[in-house]
Amino acid sequence: MLMLILFFVQVGLGLLLALQHNDPTLLAGTLNFNVVRSTHLNLGLIWILSGFIGSILYVGPLLSKRELASPWLIKFLFYAVVAVTLWNVGTQSLAMQGSAGWWAGQPWLQEGLEYIEGGRVFDVIVLIGFAILCYVVLRTFPKVREWNEIHWGLGLGVVALTVVWLFGMFYVPRVDLQEYFRWFVVHYWVEGVWEVIHISLVGILIVLLFKVSVKEVGYAVFWGILLVWLSGLLGNAHHYFWVGTPEFWQFWGSLFSALEPLPMIFCFWHIYLDAHANRKPLENAPAFYFILGSVVLEQVGAGILGFTMTFALTNVWSHGTWVTPAHGHLALFGTFGLLVLGAAYYAVPMLRRGKPGDFDQRLGRLGFWLVFSGIIGLALAFALGGTVQVYISRILGFEWLSGDLMPSMNLYKVLVVSFGFVLTVGAGVIVYDLCTLGRQTERTKATEPAPAQIPARPATGWSRPLTGFEAGTWLMGMWIFGFIVTFNLLSYNLDIVRVHGDPTLPYVLAGIGYPGLFLTTLLFVWRFLASMEARVAEAALSPAPNPAAVGGGGRA
Amino acid sequence: MLGLMMLVFIVLSGFSFLGSRNQVTPDEITFGTHYATDGKKIFQAYNCMDCHTIVGNGAYLGPDLTKKYAALGPAWLAAFLPSANMWPTEFAVQTQLKDKDIAADAGVDTIEAYYEKYPEAKERVQRRGGKPTYMPTLRFRAGEVSQLIAFLKYTSAMNTEGWPPKVMTGSLEHRLELLHGRVAGSAAATPAGSSSAPGAATSAGGGAGGAVERGAQLAQTLGCAACHSTDGKKITGPTWKGIYGSHEKLVGGGTATVDDAYIIESILKPNAKVVEGYPEGTMPPYEGLVTDEQIQDLIAYIKTL
Repeated sequence: MLMLILFFVQVGLGLLLALQHNDPTLLAGTLNFNVVRSTHLNLGLIWILSGFIGSILYVGPLLSKRELASPWLIKFLFYAVVAVTLWNVGTQSLAMQGSAGWWAGQPWLQEGLEYIEGGRVFDVIVLIGFAILCYVVLRTFPKVREWNEIHWGLGLGVVALTVVWLFGMFYVPRVDLQEYFRWFVVHYWVEGVWEVIHISLVGILIVLLFKVSVKEVGYAVFWGILLVWLSGLLGNAHHYFWVGTPEFWQFWGSLFSALEPLPMIFCFWHIYLDAHANRKPLENAPAFYFILGSVVLEQVGAGILGFTMTFALTNVWSHGTWVTPAHGHLALFGTFGLLVLGAAYYAVPMLRRGKPGDFDQRLGRLGFWLVFSGIIGLALAFALGGTVQVYISRILGFEWLSGDLMPSMNLYKVLVVSFGFVLTVGAGVIVYDLCTLGRQTERTKATEPAPAQIPARPATGWSRPLTGFEAGTWLMGMWIFGFIVTFNLLSYNLDIVRVHGDPTLPYVLAGIGYPGLFLTTLLFVWRFLASMEARVAEAALSPAPNPAAVGGGGRA
Repeated sequence: MLGLMMLVFIVLSGFSFLGSRNQVTPDEITFGTHYATDGKKIFQAYNCMDCHTIVGNGAYLGPDLTKKYAALGPAWLAAFLPSANMWPTEFAVQTQLKDKDIAADAGVDTIEAYYEKYPEAKERVQRRGGKPTYMPTLRFRAGEVSQLIAFLKYTSAMNTEGWPPKVMTGSLEHRLELLHGRVAGSAAATPAGSSSAPGAATSAGGGAGGAVERGAQLAQTLGCAACHSTDGKKITGPTWKGIYGSHEKLVGGGTATVDDAYIIESILKPNAKVVEGYPEGTMPPYEGLVTDEQIQDLIAYIKTL
């Protein structure tokens, strides 16, 4: 049964590979851009969902101290996911012939709507799959009276996952109404459901990694979920600015979705607190690397970049340009992709070896840095390319791909490919590492570096313990750059840019804001991890006082 | 608190779709005999949204399509969509304007008036006409192009609260100067000057070279090459490579030998005998638009392929 869950995660990673290779740089030909892109989006969603399902099914029994209900259903679900994924990949290429499989007023084969391209057949099978997931998860959990906050988070998460999916299952003839309901699925999935599952999974993984009690993270999970829903429910309005819905949405969307980063700041702060609850060395470094990466990119990609484009006055420029995928890639892959990879790095060694840290962790670290810098670079390329695109397309009104627009954006297109390549290599390393974890351990145990190999220098400078004040300063730094980016988007409204066509101000602000934001992010994660790694050296230097420190820190 | 917010959301949603808002709906819009409601299904069937954006949502490869009907007009779109691999020439747009439905929908019937009404069409014809595009040719079935135009007419009529933002940086020349700098300003004017008079080019082309060269030139300026390849590739129409003297199966049975008479008929009344495997009604009739000399030049060119 446990092997099965493992398989789940692996399927997720296999799909990840396919996803990366599909990066839409190869134009036209036998596989048109739109087919590749819809597959890119769909596989991105499916592998992350597989990761969620795998993680939930793994932590569910641990959390409830009960056996997983109906393992045969999960086995069935596994094959169903494989089958439905192949079906979806197959049907997407029908778009090149313009066949949607219209029957009874519904497109049964493929739908041609961004993010929910799957046809009705796909939708129905996925709905059944979600229903099975709900059943298994809720049966595995104890009675509702005994639920803790994480139970609630995951339980509500899987049920809401299923309910929200329903809104993408009917054809809408009006464009405005269609977009209205499409964002029910897309926004409420991400902002209302995935975030909830994310918070809960981060919570339980922190419990497992740092051996803190569920009670300690429980209140963070509770407040996190509450804030997500309070800000996200009306925050959906930021998708209703320009799709043919009335102007009043601009007010509600700007106001409430500006609050959406709040739960992320909360979550960010909490991972700092929990990671510093005691000073034990990290047993499973890659798992923590990915979880930290996930929480930080949630902050930067979803929180800060989302914030910059959430006001009607900034969104009017970012909407429909490359500025948006900078946010999209960081928020989706950064937050959710890194989280399920972190969960995999926790679960796979446990399943294979039964012990959390018993494997060669070097490849995992390498994979993390490749993927992490790759996705940040990708976002930077999209953001800067988007800044140029906003000027050329919206201010000057040129959009001729090969004539006016492309020459100015060539540099950024090359950058996207370059960082995409780094990301793909990182993904390859991770997939290889996770697939061979069990065997590697046996082979390389002899050469596994002893903790002492890490220079046992005193914990000062870059690797000294991270204080709360310093973490707060880093966070503040990110937000300052975030505000600069917001001013960059706002500056397009100024007469000097909009009427006189002078791009200097937005270019300068973007040139400071984006690289500054991403550099701060990279340095912060480096700093955080250096401080965590230093504990290994500390532990090796002074093994005696450490247990006491652990005991003392745990109380604090 | 959460309930209150949900209430606010539901009330706002209710107001969003009230009939009194006068937001246009697709069942109110037609193009000729085609409905926007059908066009939307075609739009989704070809998954246009994963290359283009519509109301700003979708992929960021091609331009946003929401207001393209208003900017380019039906004749340009009708000339472009069937053979999207090449930008329409002025002649190709003119040919579409001969169609009664299209002219009625555009509200004008001369190319000058059309350019006046749809300046972006003018800019495109002059700067890009006859050049290759990045869009693959989609082999639309009969009627699908008109349905798509109906759909784009609908999205153009939608009130999107001022998005995409209005371009306020002035004339085309000024904007080109801002983009490419002063030096390129004069360079940009040159292609505009040379291609702005394809009519002149076609007649002037008559003087230079033999019939074959003139035919090859005409295939470009008349826009034939947008649909008919010369390298054997199957695009919108049958390839010209090796077509002369071949026997083609026709829609509705029978075969035709491709000789002078068949080519002349196919140019003037293309829907009389359509080759099997190609949709009817895609090629516009060129009766009254091309001279006999031009046709003879084209035949001479086709024979060499």
